[in-house]
Amino acid sequence: MAWITKNSGGAKIERRDEPYLTQAIKDTVTRTYLPRYETKMGALLPTLHLVQQAHNWLPHQALIEIAEFLGLKPADVIDTASFYEEYWLKPKGACLISVCRSIACEFCGSKAVTDACRRRLGIEPGETTDDGKFTLIELECLGSCGTAPAALFNHTLHENLTPEKVERLIEEAERSGSHGHH
Amino acid sequence: MPRPNFAPEKPILTQRIPCWPFADPATRRTIRLDEYQRTGGYDGLRKALSMAPDAVVGEVKDSGLRGRGGAGFPTGLKWTFLPKYDPAGPPRYLAINADESEPGTFKDRLIMDFDPHLLLEGIAIACYACRLSKAYIYIRGEYFHQAMVLEEAIKDAYAAGIFGSRGLLSGAATAGGGPWPLEVHLHRGAGAYICGEETALLESLEGKRGWPRIKPPFPALKGLFGKPTIINNVETLAHLPSIVTFGKEWFLAQGTKGSAGTKLFGISGHVNRPGLHECELGIPLRMLIESKDYCCGMRHGKKFKGAIAGGVSTGILGPDQIDAPMDFDIGKNYNVLGLGTACPTIFDEDTDMVAVARNIARFFKHESCGQCTPCREGSGWLYQLLSRIESGGGRTKDLDLTLEIATSMGAMPGTTICGLADGNNWAVRTIINKYRAEFEKRVRPTYVPVTMSVGAAANA
Ligand SMILES: Cc1cc2nc3c(=O)[nH]c(=O)nc-3n(C[C@H](O)[C@H](O)[C@H](O)COP(=O)(O)O)c2cc1C
Ligand code: SF4
Ligand code: FES
Repeated sequence: MAWITKNSGGAKIERRDEPYLTQAIKDTVTRTYLPRYETKMGALLPTLHLVQQAHNWLPHQALIEIAEFLGLKPADVIDTASFYEEYWLKPKGACLISVCRSIACEFCGSKAVTDACRRRLGIEPGETTDDGKFTLIELECLGSCGTAPAALFNHTLHENLTPEKVERLIEEAERSGSHGHH
Repeated sequence: MPRPNFAPEKPILTQRIPCWPFADPATRRTIRLDEYQRTGGYDGLRKALSMAPDAVVGEVKDSGLRGRGGAGFPTGLKWTFLPKYDPAGPPRYLAINADESEPGTFKDRLIMDFDPHLLLEGIAIACYACRLSKAYIYIRGEYFHQAMVLEEAIKDAYAAGIFGSRGLLSGAATAGGGPWPLEVHLHRGAGAYICGEETALLESLEGKRGWPRIKPPFPALKGLFGKPTIINNVETLAHLPSIVTFGKEWFLAQGTKGSAGTKLFGISGHVNRPGLHECELGIPLRMLIESKDYCCGMRHGKKFKGAIAGGVSTGILGPDQIDAPMDFDIGKNYNVLGLGTACPTIFDEDTDMVAVARNIARFFKHESCGQCTPCREGSGWLYQLLSRIESGGGRTKDLDLTLEIATSMGAMPGTTICGLADGNNWAVRTIINKYRAEFEKRVRPTYVPVTMSVGAAANA
């Protein structure tokens, strides 16, 4: 929902001394991504992915650092980062549960799956548990319609879900503390 | 002439990917480079390199191959829109559309999951034929696993000299005057349906927000970074190795008139065995649903109520349209937008069609990029109206208002930049029109007081 402005007027901009854009990430971008594109901005999406992978979300400071590194205006970076739903400009839980709500999934039972997550985690879609372990969202078609309903736990796809199955998955994620890769 | 069950004689796109009725999908696994080559892989590319580039373009053009990404545009014809090749000219690009986000669609994923080199071989053939020196696979962010499979396959192909600066197939001599060097890169999207629209995809490749561009200029002349660019869907490109290997007549002999070849059909929803099948174009929807070779009938023995034709943008096939042949003429003959991605979602008799319309309207409201007022505002209004009708608060006049808004938005009515709004238009309009009685039962009548004209009541 790229065009809906988000309320950011009261947001406090956190700063820390240690950069989010680490030397290692800079090296990867310089070696792997910059040579691929005609412009430096071409490397913006891959860079945002790398930083988010390392920090689980994209703090404002990180966006400024990326702008500086790629020779872009901060506004350009924020413009792009805020357009794409996969980039998190606010913290999210260690385990992001994304339940598909599109056509095949809704009519094969995704609502019951989302409700099971709600009950089990005590949060609504869009919210994060107090311990920062889980964030629940609903999103559109995951390309898994033949095995609906489907959901992602971070990057791992789970298919043919039922309320019982998703509750088991949440318990497993809680126990193991490992939530798949970000 | 297609065989009785419309299955190809031998699977083509799925020759290495088990699908019913040929093999059990449970045995699917990712094919690595060595196995791909052992089973005839990259032979199509080898043959292509022995042909003049223009001859490859001609072969594809005459094969009748049409784009598998949704619009069905003739592939060879699109390629001829490129400017004449000039070795001293600017770089020319291929952008591979692997954004697959149309709700109901899960076909390109099959190729990327299990036979990634089939796509890579198709890319190499297209780039050789069209004289393109760099290819970017734009894959949706949620396909993380598929991105890793492709990344690995690309690495293997480079290591084996198939791609790289020496030229395709380790700098093999070609009929096009010397080796053809090719770079192939993967570019991950980040969760935006609109980036499947070809010009939004280019913007996103350039690191910008995915806002579709106004056409013209068309990408073939001014595309990625302002350079000539061809955009093709994953499945379209995956057809190239076999077209080059077996020839245009072989391809034309499959499918129906104007709809040559096989197609991946992904069926979801209320059937006994949802899944992916490779069939000749023209297979009747009923056969896909009822045949033991495919979906084995409606779930729980229920009656068929309707089917999204091929992704929500195409609209719905009504209860009496189950015999529709699934080919590129379906739009003309059955009052839907088109074949789309050929991935129908099937609904049984218990399905609430008002809820179906609301689900789809919510999708488009969520995914509108917001550039064009009719799409941005219209999608919001359609969702609100349909939600109100679903919850029982609607009036008869809401139905007419919904239809009026839907009909007015889209690139075809000429009010928007891209086709996203047309998808919204067709989905909402065809569902209301084909299930009008069901919608009318849900709304309260709009009473017109005798002292008021009908027009004034409509504005009330
Ligand atoms: C809103 C919108 C979304 C689209 N999404 C996709 C998509 O996810 N994948 C795709 O291949 N084509 C998609 N298309 C169609 C592309 O714009 C383009 O026609 C296609 O990629 C061309 O490839 P083809 O000729 O090989 O089919 C979309 C079009 C629109 C208007
Ligand atoms: S039609 Fe909709 S999605 Fe397409 S450019 Fe306009 S606002 Fe964006
Ligand atoms: S509709 Fe849920 S995965 Fe496609």
